[in-house]
Amino acid sequence: MADKTIVITRFDPDKDEAPRKQEYTVPCEPNWKVLDAVNFIKDELDATISYRWSCRMAVCGSCGMMVNGEPKLTCKTTLSDYGDRVDIEPLANFPIVRDLVVELDGFMHKFESVKPWIMRAKEKAEDKAAYHETKGTFSQSAEELGNFKQFSMCINCMLCYSACPVVANEPDFLGPAAIALGHRYNTDSRDQGNDERNEIFRGEGTVFSCSYANECSEVCPKNVDPAAAINQAKFGAVIDWAKGLVIPRGGSN
Amino acid sequence: MAGPAHPHAMAPPTPGRTRAAPPQTPSTWWGSKRIMTYLLFDATGIVYFLVAFVAIRLIRDLGDGPLAWARAMESLQHPIYIAFHVLCLIAVIFVAVRFFRLFPKAQPPTIGPAKPPPAAVIHAMLYVIWIGITAVMTAILAGVIF
Amino acid sequence: MKTILLRLEPIIWLLFGQGILIGTMLLTGWILVVGILIPMGMVDAEALSYARAHSLATASLFGFVPLGKLILAALLVLPLWKGAHHVRSLLIDFGGGERDGIVGTLLYLIAIVGSVMAIMAVVGL
Repeated sequence: MADKTIVITRFDPDKDEAPRKQEYTVPCEPNWKVLDAVNFIKDELDATISYRWSCRMAVCGSCGMMVNGEPKLTCKTTLSDYGDRVDIEPLANFPIVRDLVVELDGFMHKFESVKPWIMRAKEKAEDKAAYHETKGTFSQSAEELGNFKQFSMCINCMLCYSACPVVANEPDFLGPAAIALGHRYNTDSRDQGNDERNEIFRGEGTVFSCSYANECSEVCPKNVDPAAAINQAKFGAVIDWAKGLVIPRGGSN
Repeated sequence: MAGPAHPHAMAPPTPGRTRAAPPQTPSTWWGSKRIMTYLLFDATGIVYFLVAFVAIRLIRDLGDGPLAWARAMESLQHPIYIAFHVLCLIAVIFVAVRFFRLFPKAQPPTIGPAKPPPAAVIHAMLYVIWIGITAVMTAILAGVIF
Repeated sequence: MKTILLRLEPIIWLLFGQGILIGTMLLTGWILVVGILIPMGMVDAEALSYARAHSLATASLFGFVPLGKLILAALLVLPLWKGAHHVRSLLIDFGGGERDGIVGTLLYLIAIVGSVMAIMAVVGL
């Protein structure tokens, strides 16, 4: 196959004022993914480029980058879909640490803030013995699982954050993956933490900042459909608010 | 990249150990068909504002008596007003089509004990209701019924 | 201002949602006839003579439900909230995240003023 010009964004905080572009001529094989070209550059042309990748099969979510301006998993993106010039940049809307590596702590912080774990209401002490003796493990029907299974498929690749216009402009917004995950737990029949999560959903990172651009769902490589989750979560937050008008919170628990 | 995103977009809670370059928006942002459609969708908000205020003025004139109403209806004949309302009609149809496509998947999986109908059914129902209401309103306002 | 907006988001979103749903459904016929067909002469202007327009607007169901006024109120008020919310979103899309507290409040105030004007116009029929 013909050579392609692969343009990589370079940024070394010790040497560069701002990110710059560097071009490489890569002899591409017909069946290559974009990641193969980047690995070729690292192995054969320039060992100094920095980037994240791992599984090579679109399950780990590490290799997200902008390919010709669109957020993609580079291990899943076929190189032959592109012309002679392929522009690879770090994920949009994230601070850039070095070359194609972006700062993840901001995402991790939003991610943890939605309490992505099963929360049970505090069982009264005297019930605890009865609970363990008679109830055993949680049981969940296939239908109950179906309510949230799609939203549990997220691989945290953050392509949705690069695509979202609100993430670009509102730094406090929780973002698609975090809200989808929080909603996954809110709709899990085993979870009883809706109250706490809805408080976060209505806090600074408010789900209502979402303007339903639907870009997150367009770029999601795992068909999680975070836009559906976020807009379902808005409905849930409204119900929570309405309940709060009638039943004041902060009594029990 | 297209341009800078908000300087604190996706910022870490505590600063990183090395200097990071500021976040950028995607380079395809302003040309992308999907993004332009979405921005247009948001821009219809301006149209909705204007058409509502025009309608409010009309109803006020209706309350002010036959003379005011006649003057108001005559003013609507001005080409600018007609062009405006044609634009409004296009905007309203555009909003309806996009919103009806996005509405079904935003329904919660269960509403109490009940499950909402399948997405395709909701989508079709929205069109039926919209066309139905429009037909009835058109017939009433145009003097065909009542 | 941002915190006040945050607390009111649920009700704003509900009004916005109905603005899109009900507002769009009601506006289509209105724009078609009042804005296009009658002014262009394709429908007889007598269809909305003062007498008929006024009687439609003040029509009641079962003698006590002011149906005409309720529908008019929905048609006038709900699109304002769709408009306010989307213009706010549009301005954020163009990089207005920092000013959103003030801009959002201003837009919703316009929607409130418009809603009050609409209700007064409808009540005054």
